[in-house]
Amino acid sequence: MATIEVENISKRFGTQIAVDDVTFSVEPGEIFGLLGPNGAGKTTSLRIILDIFKPDSGTVAILGGTMSEDKKDRIGYLPEERGLYQDIQLESGLTYMATLKGLSKPEASRRVSAYLERFDLGEARKKKIKELSKGMQQKAQLIVTLVHQPELIIIDEPFSALDPVNTQMVKDLLREERNNGKAIIMCTHQMHQVEALCDRLVLIHKGKVMLYGKLEEIQRMYAAHEVIVRTLVDLPTDLAGVERVEQENSTAHLQLAPGTSAQSVLRELVERKIPVEQFEIAMPTLDEIFIQVVQGQGESA
Amino acid sequence: MRKFWLVFSHEYARHVLRKRFLFAILSMPLFVVVIIVIGFLSVFIQYNGKPVGYVDALPVFAAPQMPPENDSSTPPVAFLAYPDEAAATAALKQKEIQSYFVIPADYIETGNIRLVSLQSTAVNVTDAVRNFLRYNLIQTQPSDVVNRLTQGTEVILRAADNSQSMSENDWMSFALPLLAGILFVIAVNTSGGYLLQAVVEEKENRTMEIIITSVSPDQLMAGKVLADLCVGLTQLFSWLLFVLLGILVAGRFLPFALNISIAPGFVALMVATLLPAFVLVAALMAIAGAMTTDSREAQQVAGLLTLPIFIPYWFTTPLLSNPNSPLAIGLSLFPLTAPVALPLRASVAQIPVWQNVLAVSLLTLFAAAALWLAARVFRMGMLQYGKRLEWREIFSRNSGRV
Repeated sequence: MATIEVENISKRFGTQIAVDDVTFSVEPGEIFGLLGPNGAGKTTSLRIILDIFKPDSGTVAILGGTMSEDKKDRIGYLPEERGLYQDIQLESGLTYMATLKGLSKPEASRRVSAYLERFDLGEARKKKIKELSKGMQQKAQLIVTLVHQPELIIIDEPFSALDPVNTQMVKDLLREERNNGKAIIMCTHQMHQVEALCDRLVLIHKGKVMLYGKLEEIQRMYAAHEVIVRTLVDLPTDLAGVERVEQENSTAHLQLAPGTSAQSVLRELVERKIPVEQFEIAMPTLDEIFIQVVQGQGESA
Repeated sequence: MRKFWLVFSHEYARHVLRKRFLFAILSMPLFVVVIIVIGFLSVFIQYNGKPVGYVDALPVFAAPQMPPENDSSTPPVAFLAYPDEAAATAALKQKEIQSYFVIPADYIETGNIRLVSLQSTAVNVTDAVRNFLRYNLIQTQPSDVVNRLTQGTEVILRAADNSQSMSENDWMSFALPLLAGILFVIAVNTSGGYLLQAVVEEKENRTMEIIITSVSPDQLMAGKVLADLCVGLTQLFSWLLFVLLGILVAGRFLPFALNISIAPGFVALMVATLLPAFVLVAALMAIAGAMTTDSREAQQVAGLLTLPIFIPYWFTTPLLSNPNSPLAIGLSLFPLTAPVALPLRASVAQIPVWQNVLAVSLLTLFAAAALWLAARVFRMGMLQYGKRLEWREIFSRNSGRV
């Protein structure tokens, strides 16, 4: 059973259509990327999923049905705009937030304490939240999202303000949660993080779904008919089925003619005894796909 | 329900344990103490305890009597007789007396006396001289007449049906409801201000989005409003405690202060209007916080909302002189003016039961409606960062579908 089933949801604010007939689902044990440019309708979609907004049409099933107060305790949410009480001490602020998620005070206190140590915030536990750096506040916000061990984690830009060490720690944490069977929706503009973490994704643009599916399938769908070859010698210019070669140092991008397979090119290189160090089918980066779709050159999935 | 109490206890502790709350609690009695101390200081600075001399040409002053001590906080001034002005002037120059007055032979006909002093006369001297003269002039009268003339007359106002009476000497019993009303208005505004600030802050620092995915807007709003009510009551009861302490302390110096009596019915009426009024104002503050875009604008709107609460004070004189006029009844029934107008009227008149019941019912009804509206506005306005919520959006047909 899917953790989230979004079916044909639409939402309009005045004359502006924020979300237009969006459909996707999120399964347990996967990290799902919710992507799109600014103003695409991602946050509105998340707020509809979380029952903050009601859709004008369409339905959302979350954790097996409609949203209820009890289900709120099974969801961890990290919004794009950070929100923590600024004037209270870090530990007591986080403990209060954890109790609002259904934990008893002693249990909340115990878990917050453990997370503070894990996130290297132990020494700041008595500091007021407004005295913390942006990175520390981001880590505190992540603790609020994860402390009650939710079944569904919704995180919007989880890596903002984090240094590389903490970014890696959060990535490891998210993978750990996924391996524990949690469903994770991640919104981010950092496409390399999506490539590194997400199993599936949906790309929304102007409220509409532009791409939806497995990351690898989407990359293949947008792959040009190209191979990347790295050799120790210059490539011959008369390779059969190759229309153009773009050489960059020792790496060459070979654009193949229609009907030519990558295997036939590799076979010819081997037969002509050209020492090949690397041979791969050129896959577009998610950045390239994103730009292509958003600039109106992509096709609706 | 558990989350409602979590929100309540968090909000209550958050406001009450803040320095600014302690400052707000202490500032009022400190202010009153400072005013009283300044008042006493000004009296003592102007007070001169040296004896006053007099030269008397009237036989009645041959054996002068000192007037009995009154309730004044300052000790009485002694009067010393001198045979002639030369002796009085010598005593004045030697600073044995602060001044002297001459009672001419035609004093009874003219009422004129002459006061001689080397410097400006202390305020207490002229009053003391008048009392001294008055008291000695009536010594020829029977003692009960002297006592009556000295102690004056107590006017007791009584309602035609004997249901209500008020003595002018018992003025503190009348002043206390006024004072309690003022304290209530300040407390409701202060605590309402905290709630307003908290809502705007949560909106501005985006805490709202996290909270709302943990607690329902109704639980959140009810927890906040109840916490606000308790913050206000804590403030109010702290001040009343200070007032009682003040009365006890003042009673040692000013015995009349202990003669204050407040009818239990009056206290019940105060409580019955105070509680829903707190909820009403708190809900209005929450609405202001949810509808506006920043704390400055919210404060301005809140100021407009709480302005009506002060209206009865502008009409204190007509309310007290004619407590059953249509204006007085209207102000007692209108929910925002009732918390002050109703007790104010009740302190001088017997209010018909139906008016009390109707006023409290209307207040409670409006408080409940405001709470409902606050939850609705709150749900709609909490995520509209930087965008003002319009009234027509709140009442539009689809407003339930936020």
